[in-house]
Amino acid sequence: MRRRSSLLLVAVVALGLTACAGAQASPRSADEHCPHAAEPLTSLTLVDDVRAATGRSTACLPTHAIAAVDDTTPPELPVTVTDAEGRSVEITDVSRILPVDISGSIASTVFALGLGDKVVGRDVATAFDGTEHLPVVTKAGHTLNAEAILELAPTVMLTDTSIGPKEVRQQLRDAGVAVVVLSDERRLDTADDLIREIASALGVPSRGAALIAQLDADIAAAQAEIAQVAPEAEGDRARLLFLYARGAANVYYIFGHDSGADSLIEAVGGIDVASEIGWEGTKPMTAEALVAAQPDVLVMMTDGLESVGGVEGLIARVPAVAQTPAGRNGRVIDMDDTEILSFGPRSAEIIRAMARALYAPASSTADDPAS
Amino acid sequence: MSEEVVVPTPARHRGSRFAVATIVLALALIAVCVISLGLGQYALSPSEVVGILLRAIGVDTDLAPAAPTADGVILDIRLPRIVLGLLVGAALAVSGVLMQAIFGNPLADAAVVGVSSGAALGAAASLTFGLTVFGLWTTPGAAFLGGLTAVIAVYLISRAGGRTEVVTLLLTGIAINAIAGAGLAFLTFLGTTSTREQIVFWQLGSLNGALWQNIALVAPLTAVGILAGMLVAGRLDLFALGERTARHLGVRVELLRIVVIITVAVLVCAAVAFAGIIGFVGLIVPHLMRMIIGPAHLPLLIASALGGALLLAVADLVARTAVPLADLPIGMLTALVGGPFFLWLLVRTRRRSGGWA
Amino acid sequence: MSRLVASGVSVAVDDGRLILADASIEVRAGEVHALVGPNGAGKSTLFGVLAGDLTPASGTVTLDGAPLRGIHPRELARRRAVLLQSNTVSFPFTVEQVVRMGRAPWARTPAEDQDDAAVRDAMAETDVAGFAARTFPSLSGGERARVALARVLAQATPVLMLDEPTAALDLKHQEDVLRIVRARALAGAAVAIVLHDLNVTLAYADRVTLLSRGRVVAAGAPGEVLTAARIEEVYGQPVDVFPHPGTGVPVVVPRR
Repeated sequence: MRRRSSLLLVAVVALGLTACAGAQASPRSADEHCPHAAEPLTSLTLVDDVRAATGRSTACLPTHAIAAVDDTTPPELPVTVTDAEGRSVEITDVSRILPVDISGSIASTVFALGLGDKVVGRDVATAFDGTEHLPVVTKAGHTLNAEAILELAPTVMLTDTSIGPKEVRQQLRDAGVAVVVLSDERRLDTADDLIREIASALGVPSRGAALIAQLDADIAAAQAEIAQVAPEAEGDRARLLFLYARGAANVYYIFGHDSGADSLIEAVGGIDVASEIGWEGTKPMTAEALVAAQPDVLVMMTDGLESVGGVEGLIARVPAVAQTPAGRNGRVIDMDDTEILSFGPRSAEIIRAMARALYAPASSTADDPAS
Repeated sequence: MSEEVVVPTPARHRGSRFAVATIVLALALIAVCVISLGLGQYALSPSEVVGILLRAIGVDTDLAPAAPTADGVILDIRLPRIVLGLLVGAALAVSGVLMQAIFGNPLADAAVVGVSSGAALGAAASLTFGLTVFGLWTTPGAAFLGGLTAVIAVYLISRAGGRTEVVTLLLTGIAINAIAGAGLAFLTFLGTTSTREQIVFWQLGSLNGALWQNIALVAPLTAVGILAGMLVAGRLDLFALGERTARHLGVRVELLRIVVIITVAVLVCAAVAFAGIIGFVGLIVPHLMRMIIGPAHLPLLIASALGGALLLAVADLVARTAVPLADLPIGMLTALVGGPFFLWLLVRTRRRSGGWA
Repeated sequence: MSRLVASGVSVAVDDGRLILADASIEVRAGEVHALVGPNGAGKSTLFGVLAGDLTPASGTVTLDGAPLRGIHPRELARRRAVLLQSNTVSFPFTVEQVVRMGRAPWARTPAEDQDDAAVRDAMAETDVAGFAARTFPSLSGGERARVALARVLAQATPVLMLDEPTAALDLKHQEDVLRIVRARALAGAAVAIVLHDLNVTLAYADRVTLLSRGRVVAAGAPGEVLTAARIEEVYGQPVDVFPHPGTGVPVVVPRR
């Protein structure tokens, strides 16, 4: 069940990416649209009652570059790993790496491990600094293009089951590429596992351990900051609900328990109301569920929110929203599609960004265009 | 009444038309395959392609590029895709010939008897419930079982007193199609977004991801199906005279019907198991061939097998090169051509009363 | 000698009603045996039983002494040929191809060598050779009937069964067909033919079986069976029967 809902989540993210192929265009420069990102949470202008705040806030990352871990131990090869599909794969050469999945987490992890210079291609979700020149090998966002991949002559391909088809993976294996299929669960608590799997497949376990330690420390620090700001009583905490929307296709999903969104919401000191009403995984939204949940804040992907015409458009298309506190207050937090649920090495930054948007909305809506 | 009459020799004339058609089809097929092998995202010159093929059979020349990935492109991606397309095209075309023969109607198609929707339901069930009992072969196997179950259900339900009436068969097929359609809709509802997408793409048909191990299953089934068709081709000619008359000429009608229906199920399931639903091939190709070489079933079967292979080879070439970096669903292309063709057929047939010429 | 014999045959429909009761008939070699009677009398039913298409509820049907049901379909096709009233071909086969289909039962037997000759002769006899290359669906009703007959003749069987073969034909071709049929009988074939025209029956048949309401009313020489009294009784129409001035063959004329 967990596996399935993560799969869903990740696939649904893909759909969002598919709908806006141009979204993966230019990398943003640091700090332009993300002021105050370097400041600690407690020093920002905090909202009085997090449950009664109004307006849209966009959560943003301070930088779109991925910092490499300090450890520079060279890869120890060859290495044999058992991948998530139970296959034993021998990796002998990591000079040409192809990390592709639906959310870009694998690519960001490879870069965080300091092996970014060996990456030869990317997926649609990967657009951070240093990847602009890499050719995209996933057609329409989630289909592997076998010939394009072979053109890059990768020596090892790191992927998961979120993109396919599996037959193309087999074709690549037959053609001599070492294909390692990683697990596709993307939650806060699986970020470490992903780093570990990738690091061992690339022969750099010590780098992996260092990255994990760093990430864990960062997350702990972020959570400590949040703890200082979040209300103590549960009744005062923000009630958040993750809503996935694709306006063009009239598709709306609520992401609930074990979808990954819940771990993000809880990490920022909020209450995941979808889990509260028993919503498992990612399922099409129903008006009753939305009204029963009574969220204070809706969390959405930026492109998804744009696709329904901003907050006003959302309320017009989904009248049930107006019957929730979030709707009445126009309270929506949005974040870039490729970042919000990708977790991976940027987990701590993502949590912080979300926390800034939740607790200090004034500091993050500074120069966002009106919705 | 016994004056000297010069009897024209239509047999010889028709024979030559068949020979010409076969040669033309075979040549066109080879040409398309060769072109298809050389075209694709990964740039390779014709001499490099030849070099790779030669190297694959053990002949080392200077022509082949040094990079081993080029071999993979030709031998593991393009060649299996082309071969699968040929097999699927031939299987679908031959299944169309058999269906039309057994129903005595050139508008009959395997989809009518419920094979396609049954196969779709089987595949969708395996995708939605995440079955992996047989690994890579689970979905195709489920498609096979689904299609076979559907066609057997249609057949058994439409039998009465040891006879199968054509009209009852068609109506039962419609009912089974409706049931399978409902099941499919339910699975789409139950499933996750990704399985939903998989089901949709499976229903549109695609030759992407063709593997030699899958071809190892499709090839013998297609061969068996076509061979069985050729063995009964003579009896199918007699079937055109009507069931009763065919019986008077020594044909065991009920047995023939069972054999043909099972053969059709085998051919269609082998085709859709790995390539998804690709429609209209069984409708377009036999009809065109019949117009060119006449209705005698043995030559028709052979020409249709070639014609079907050619149609799919061309369609797949278009599917993967028409839009850069995109793989159009092949079922969409065949439907794009087949739909209007079907309408034209209907109008033309209705205009000529008294015969499905 | 009797080739095709039915005795005590009854055929029932779904609700148990008998549409043919206790019918018997003997079709002998060298004879044209006509089945006549009004509509609904059971002619086609009896014909169907003799052809092996219908299974009787009771009674037996034998061909050359062997029960019909036990004979392999292909073997049966070499011994008797059947011409039905409706002749359709679902695909545009040519006339020559359709006639050649009559030779199908002889495939892979020595008689196969005579296929070309049999087809040619049959087409010449039925005067269809002139349009041998035309497709069947493009023919008129009469032409189709003659092509179907050619197919049956090409089958070259000792027993011939024809169900109203002259229904769609013009006068000349009607007579041609009957002459062919009688010639075959003279050459030794056993011919069973369903006819609706009593004059034709009187002119060409050697024996007649008259049916009425599912029963055999009379059987024997045509002149003896088809008397004015019996015709009036069975058909419900008063008639006069008198001999043809030239040939002496009885002629039936309805009393108007």
